[in-house]
Amino acid sequence: MGEWTSLLAWGDAGWGDEMVRGALWTLVLATVAFSLGVAIGSIGAAAKLSHLPPMRWLGQGYTTVIRGVPDLLVIYLLFFGGNQAVMAIARGLFGYDGYIELNAFTIGAIALGTVSGAYSTEVIRGAVLAVPRGQIEAARACGMSGWLLFRRIMVPQVARYALPGLGNVWQLTLKDTSLISIVGLVEIMRSASIASGSTQKPFIFYLCAAVLYLVLTAGSNRVFGLAELWANRGVRRA
Amino acid sequence: MNKKLTTLAAVAALAVAGLAADASAKDFAKGSKVRIATEGAYAPWNFTDSAGKLVGFEVDLAADLCKRMEVECEVVQQAWEGIIPALQAGKYDVIMAGMSITAKRMEVIDFSRAYAQTPAVFVVTDKSPSAGFKVGVERVTLEDVDAGEKAALDAIVKEFKGKTVGVQISTTHENFLREFLGKDVTIKTYDTQENLDLDLQAGRVDAALASASYWVPLLATDKGKGMVMVGPGMTGGPFGNGVGAGIRKDDKSLSAMFDKAINAAIADGTAKKLAVQWFGFDASAK
Repeated sequence: MGEWTSLLAWGDAGWGDEMVRGALWTLVLATVAFSLGVAIGSIGAAAKLSHLPPMRWLGQGYTTVIRGVPDLLVIYLLFFGGNQAVMAIARGLFGYDGYIELNAFTIGAIALGTVSGAYSTEVIRGAVLAVPRGQIEAARACGMSGWLLFRRIMVPQVARYALPGLGNVWQLTLKDTSLISIVGLVEIMRSASIASGSTQKPFIFYLCAAVLYLVLTAGSNRVFGLAELWANRGVRRA
Repeated sequence: MNKKLTTLAAVAALAVAGLAADASAKDFAKGSKVRIATEGAYAPWNFTDSAGKLVGFEVDLAADLCKRMEVECEVVQQAWEGIIPALQAGKYDVIMAGMSITAKRMEVIDFSRAYAQTPAVFVVTDKSPSAGFKVGVERVTLEDVDAGEKAALDAIVKEFKGKTVGVQISTTHENFLREFLGKDVTIKTYDTQENLDLDLQAGRVDAALASASYWVPLLATDKGKGMVMVGPGMTGGPFGNGVGAGIRKDDKSLSAMFDKAINAAIADGTAKKLAVQWFGFDASAK
């Protein structure tokens, strides 16, 4: 036990502060990526349910490609490809041939947002389809405008139907942040691998990483549980 | 539909890649700024202390080489995955991360001359008649064998003639035994190094061959009790080309500077001193 406490000590003598800082980065990255994903997912769902065929094709193309290739590939493509593309543009347009570093956090958030957006699209699309058609017709018959119908009828019910699925997407996104460790963001996995490679005590640090992930997922389960209660406040339980 | 979209995505990805040329060649000279990448999680080569500072053999060696080259160095941390693509993208100029020089890597990047090489060493039990076996030299390099090294190799053959030598299967060490001692000793192969160690202690093999980087830590523990390293450390030839600094193919001037500085660090004993300090044995290249 003495070894554990000294290895996981706080401050310069131990790795406790490094691990916790990694967990905070994981949480921040997952939150930003998930929010971006829900925004993309709302647009994607609207596109897939659109009357216009080109919009439907775009939405379909996005979800097919992103859900069909490994997340790691999307990250590599954005990180290395994005970097080189930005540099090529800088060279072509401004004659600047130095190295331009794209921030690992930004790239990570965009990459994970793109990935989770594809899954959110499907969740939100399903939730929109779950709202009974008759309610929309009834709202129209009452004389509701499009915006009012969206705000009063669609959003509360779509949120209710989508929350369990989005909770799933959140957990996937939270765990996918471990992939960003390869592009240099020091989140939980990267802190654990640096610490275990440096001390040659992999068991302690990977176990510690597992505990940190569990704390984050268990905590967020609770948040989603409360959100679901709130979204279901107008519905009587059978 | 799916297939078409996948093709489209592949074409788009290629277009992005084609648009972007690799970082262009730079001229390196005295006073240049050189960025060196290391993994920071591969003790004792390069690792991070609990305060977050990069330390290790390669970090110290890099500082020494930079002083010799009279360049301004910055050591940065990069995860092992992606360490070569990021070099080519120009994120840094040099990789010093315990990276072995292999033909496969040489297809995409250049290497400086080797600065480290963990030698292969024979181990016997302290009761073995070979326990005190020594040759005139400490190190034998299997390329351009000189007279002293030839004598050392002959001495090894003579010492183990007719005996059984154990080695882990499909390793460079097995290749060495087959090439240099195949006619004179019985070679016994093992699927794991641990089984070989047990058989050596049980007397089923007379000697075992493996890397010093494996033996030195093992012999310091209870598991390595009664085992001793004998004979010279062997490198080169079937053992491979060692560990060098990875550099973009375009940066010939930088490769030349590193070669010169590494030669100097080896010649004046700095590389050996740092290797003994970090590894507990001489892992420097010769």
